[in-house]
Formats: sequence, C-alpha cells, structure tokens
Amino acid sequence: MAQVQRSPEVFDVVVVGSGAGGGTTVRVLTEHGIKCALLEAGPMLNVAKEFKEHQMPYDVPHRGAEDGGAAYFGKGKPFGYFSTTSGGWELDGEPYTVGEGSEFRWFRSRILGGRTNHYGRMSFRFSPYDFKPYSKDGLGYDWPVTYEEMSPYYDKAERFVGVTGENHNDMPSAPNGQFLKPPPPKVHELLIKKSCDKLGIPCIPNRRAIVTEPMKGRIPCHYCGQCGRGCQTASAYSSSQVEIFPAMKSGKLKVFDNAMVREVLTDGNGKATGVVYIDKNTRREKIIHARAVVLAASACESARILLNSKTKEFPNGVANTSGVVGRFLMDTVGFGLSGYVPAMEGMPHYNTDGFGGAHLFMPWWKWDKHHQLDFPRGYHVEIGGGYGMPGIGSFQGAARRAGYGKGIKELARKEYGASIGFAGRGEMIPNIHSYCEIDRNVVDRWGIPVLKFHFKWSDYEWKQARHMEKTFADIINGMGGRVTGLSAAQREADGISTPGTIIHEVGTVRMGNDKRDSALNKFNQAHEVKNLYVVDGGFFVSNPDKNPTLTINAFAWRAADHLAEEMRKGNV
Amino acid sequence: MSKSTSTRRDALRKIALGLTAAGSLQQLDAQAAEHVHSAAAADTKGGKYTPKLFNAHEWATITRLSAIVVPADDRSGSAVDAGAPQFIDLLCSQNQELAVIFTGGLSWFDAEMRKRVGKEFVSATPAEQTAMLDAIVAAERTVREQGAEQALFARAQQYKSFSGYTVKPGTDLAPGVKFFDWARRLIVDAFYTSPIGVKDVNYIGNVAISKYEVPQEAIDYAFNRSPFRIV
Repeated sequence: MAQVQRSPEVFDVVVVGSGAGGGTTVRVLTEHGIKCALLEAGPMLNVAKEFKEHQMPYDVPHRGAEDGGAAYFGKGKPFGYFSTTSGGWELDGEPYTVGEGSEFRWFRSRILGGRTNHYGRMSFRFSPYDFKPYSKDGLGYDWPVTYEEMSPYYDKAERFVGVTGENHNDMPSAPNGQFLKPPPPKVHELLIKKSCDKLGIPCIPNRRAIVTEPMKGRIPCHYCGQCGRGCQTASAYSSSQVEIFPAMKSGKLKVFDNAMVREVLTDGNGKATGVVYIDKNTRREKIIHARAVVLAASACESARILLNSKTKEFPNGVANTSGVVGRFLMDTVGFGLSGYVPAMEGMPHYNTDGFGGAHLFMPWWKWDKHHQLDFPRGYHVEIGGGYGMPGIGSFQGAARRAGYGKGIKELARKEYGASIGFAGRGEMIPNIHSYCEIDRNVVDRWGIPVLKFHFKWSDYEWKQARHMEKTFADIINGMGGRVTGLSAAQREADGISTPGTIIHEVGTVRMGNDKRDSALNKFNQAHEVKNLYVVDGGFFVSNPDKNPTLTINAFAWRAADHLAEEMRKGNV
Repeated sequence: MSKSTSTRRDALRKIALGLTAAGSLQQLDAQAAEHVHSAAAADTKGGKYTPKLFNAHEWATITRLSAIVVPADDRSGSAVDAGAPQFIDLLCSQNQELAVIFTGGLSWFDAEMRKRVGKEFVSATPAEQTAMLDAIVAAERTVREQGAEQALFARAQQYKSFSGYTVKPGTDLAPGVKFFDWARRLIVDAFYTSPIGVKDVNYIGNVAISKYEVPQEAIDYAFNRSPFRIV
C-alpha cells in the first residue's frame, strides 16, 4: 500500500458514479456547501461530440450501419449508431459471468452522466401502494418509508428535473405531481386511446423528464424527437448537464473521470475512510479519502464494490453482515407487440417526432382487481408509432415482401407510419433465484473480481406477460388493426424480456428497518457504516412498474440532505 | 439535400439563439455541433467515386443490380442515384466478411446468368436479368414459407445476429437467395437513408419547432377510416 498514490486534496464526500443518483447527490451536497469528489468509470462527456440528435443518416458515409456494416452483424452500438450509449451489454475487458441455467444481460454506461444521457425519461413516481406491497398481497417486502414521507421529495425532484404530465384524481396508479404542460397526442395515440376507452384502459399524458417551458437556464424542448441520442439543449434531463456541470461551476466539485472504483476503505471501527480506484489512464491504483462515501455506481456495480471490500470486520464485504448485498436482484418485466393500422395508410404526413417518445401512456388500471387476475402486480404500457426517421433496417419488411423493383417503394410509401407498437413494463416479485455474487475465478482488466448473475422469472411474471399480450392484441384489433409483431411459435420462446434487458436492474443493496435483512436504513445510510450511503437503484425493496430514475432522484436528494445534516451535527 | 440541410442549419441556429438567452449552462455548443455536422456532410458529397474494393466489373454489376432492386419512378430516383454502390463498396472495403459475401455473390450471379443465357449478368438484357431475379425471389418465398416463422420474425435486436434465412440444402438457387437477401438489404437501406429516400417517404421530422401541433386534417383522415368517430 505504501506505493499507492493518495490524492493530495481532501474532500468532505467522495461520490462514486455520475448517473441520476450520483448527479443528484453532488448537486445537493455542493448546494449545502460540501466539497465533493465525483468518480466516474468512463470519460468526461463532450456534449457536442457525443450527442448526435440533429444528424441525418446521410450525414455519415456508413449511414448508421457503422464501419464495415457492424450493425448488420449484431456488433453495432446498442440502440444504433446515433444513440448516445458510451457503454453497452459487453464492455471490452470488463466481463461478467452468468450462472448455469440463468440468463442475464447487464447494461453499463461508462461516461459522465451514465445512462441518463440517453434514457427514456419516463418519470413515474411510485403510488402509495407501491411502498407497501407485502402488506397488500403478502408477497415480497415492504419499504421502510411511506408515500407520505417521500411525496415532498418527489415534488422537489419533479420540479427540478422538469416532468410533463397531468393530474388525475381518480388514478391511484399515477399519483398527482408537479407537472409541466404535456404536448398534444399524435394521431395514432388518439386512435389507441379510443380503442383503450372501449376496454376500460386509461390513456393519459405521458410523464417524461423533458421541459416544455424555460426552466433554470434550460430552454424548452424543440421537438426534434431524438432524445435517445442525447439532448444538446438539456431540455431532456441528464444528470451530466442538469446536475453535474452546474455543480462543477460552484467550485465545490471535482470530477475524476476514468476512475474505476474497486473497494470502500474502512478504519476497522465501522467507519468508511475513502475509496480505492484504478486510474484507467495509467492503470495505477489510487486512493481518495473523505469524511463520507456515497456509492451511486449502479445497483449491481455498487453491490460489487461492497462485496469486494472485505475486511476482518466485514468478512462478507463492507456493510454486508446481513448478507443481503447482491440478493433480491430485480428487472422490469417486458413484453412488446406491434400492429399495423390500415386506417392510417395514406394519411397526410405530419411531423410525428414530438418530444421523442409517446405523448400518452397507460398507467395500470387494475390496481384494485388483482383478485380477478392470475398474477399479483401491475404494469404500465408505453406506446410507439409515427413516421420515424428512416434508418438502417427501416423498410426491410416492405422490401422482403415486395421482392424487388418499384413495388418496394410503393409498399414502403403505403405502410410508412401505419405501424404501432406497445411495450408492457411490469413489476417483478423479488425471488431467491435472482441475485449477483462475486465470481471468484474471474477478474476484469483492472484486476477487480467480476459479478456472476443468476436470474429466474417466476410464474407471476410469465402470467403478467401473457396478460400484456392479450391486452395489446385487443387494443390493436379494436382499432381495426392486425397484430404483426409475433407469431405463435415466437410467443413460446420469446414471450418475456430477457432478464436485464429492460435496464431497470435494482434491489441489490436494499433498505429496510431491520439490519438483519437489509443493508441500508430508510435514509440510504448503511446500517453498519454511518458515513456510507448507497443511492443508486441498489436500495430498491421492490421494483414497481414505475421506471426507476425519478425514484432514484428523489431518494438521492433526501439522502444528500440527511448526510449534510448528519455532517453538520458531527454525527458523520 | 440542400433543402433539408438548410432546414437543419436553421434549426441549429434557432437553438443557438435560444441558448444565448438561456445563459450559462453547459449545453449545446452550437458552433461545434454545426462543425461536426458539416464535416460529416462534406464527406458524402463531391465528385466521381473511386471504388475502394470492387473492380470495374463488380462495380458495374452492383450498380446494375441496385438500379433493378430500387428503380427510379415518377416520384424519386433509383438506389444508384441514392449512392447504394458507394455505400456497399465502402462497407465491404472495411469488412472482410461482407466483402466475401458481395464479391462471391456477384460472381455467382455471373455464373448463374452464363448458365441461363451464356452471358454475364451486366451483359444480359433487362428481361433476362429480371427473369433471374424473379426466380431467386420465388425460391426465397418458398424457402420463407418452409423455413417459416423463425426467419420471418427473427428480432433484429442489436445484440442478436441480424442475418436472415436458412436455405434448404439442395436448392440450386440457394447461394443466390442468400446473397440477394444481403444485396437487397444494403441497397434498400442505402436508398432510404439517402436524401432521396428520406424525401421519397416524406419524413419531415428532426427539425426545431417552438410549438408541437397535430394537424386536424391528419386526425380526420385516420378517424374517418377507423371504427371510431371524432368526439
């Protein structure tokens, strides 16, 4: 250890990870006047270089197929060349393993801002019932907090992040909040809403982290519709642009990029003293000391750091005497179906890009009818459709059906914009077969032992996916359309998302009131290490059908306030 | 191209103006974005293209094939006008696997045409060329119906293989079916990712607008053809 380089600077708090959790934490802490170091395992974000939202496919010679046509061989960037994904399902030299009989895919982002640079911006606060699922149906576990405790922080987070939406007093699955004006529905969404009306399914303005009016220096959305590629104007929220860059200007924040954290250091008396990281530029180990450590490296990466931080005091890893770290891994249940709607063939074209995603969504509508269903938890539905920007693969269906010649153009013109898609996003019940652990046999290129994943969907999730399928088919048929997405054979094999691929992995460092079966208290503070907090998706006790980011924003904000107060009182 | 380019330039300018008003947040460096954009665009313009991989005969063959697969009509130009041969040559020059698929496939096209009419593909008459493609497409449909679901519905997810059909052994046209699937895929993609193709389907998004509105005309059109009535 004598040769390990220590940072000469002294920080109050070291924060690991720069996504929604880490970004919120450094912004709030620096506002409290606390000096922070932020460690990001990828490079600094260069917005002008990284975000490609205004490019057309012909602006690059490979048109989006990437060099050598990598996209044709399944080797292109996840979500396509133009999307902002500095990371992916596989990272060079940073493997993970999967247990026999399991399937799991782990998406990791390696850039300042992490996945918030390109995420879907769906921003759904939990419902009151989401915090007490065990009390409701006897499955899973209750959270140590109530909706009433969290609601003020959801309010703050929505006001800060900027979330569109409308209040609906009769919709327990979509509680009221602090919303900006949503854009009007598109034609296919109006048709879908009509079809949903007949089925008793609510279809309401979407809740997305995009500002539709000027907000704290952010200009309103200009409706170019390419949010997944990054938003140069930061009208769509990203932690990099909206939290971290402003915090850097405060002079209270120093960002260390390409810093891959290996472990949390402790003093043998239940206190964290800093972190050890590998500087990727030099491949040398370095140490940063601080009064407090906040992990926000993503649910599984934070679990990995804790499990790799073994000491005499913590033989199972720091803050893991309970043994829960890595357990209770959850993803969201995903199922998708597409349809073709002849009513929209030949429609006068208009700009359907809007704010880059659906303008309507369907919150769960059977929250009080689970006794009539063969699965216990709900899902919401996301909508796709419109005249998307032509890209690699866009008209291959028409091309194959037409064969060759003029027919391809005719079919493409006729069918363009007449397809719709539905994506169900449902709640999984945590189970004992789904977890991650350290693979003792494999290290990554930085010498850090890697994670091994185990995962199983239970019947609850499969049955929920079948309900999604039936529902989507009913909606499509109800509007005079036909299902095009999946065949009967495909349903057998592919009737539910591959675990991990919805990229909502949470639960591996969960919170709770009882330190015997949780790692964190309700303020995201480790039960056993008072100056250690975990504020990424790791703290989730359940994984409701509400995309996790806004909840991470809200809890991280609350945790940062708590940490600041504890530091002020001298408890940390 | 010039029209849509200038539209996007205007958009960027508008955004830049908005940013000046917005103040100090680090967001769009509009000039830098514009620079990246024009540098990329410049690359796709310009004079005569010199093939990087294909020889003159292969170049002539892929050019002819592109013109047959997506021909010009009264509304738009052909895949050749859209730069399909350049696109394919570029990608093949960067990828040995793709290069083998194309040089091998083009060579098979010649051999098959020689078998049929004693000429290479480019030297055959248009009628002879389309007759051969008709046979390939017919074989493809048979294969598709037999090989079925899997090929039809294979999900083109990024992390799964994109490649298409499994061709039944014993079909003489099998290599042609396989190659034609690749050729058509790249020709069609090249067409629709070009300014000509984007204009052909009339994509009018990815522009900066201050207020998003949905035209009543479009709503009326779809609703009148749907099972629903407008409220």
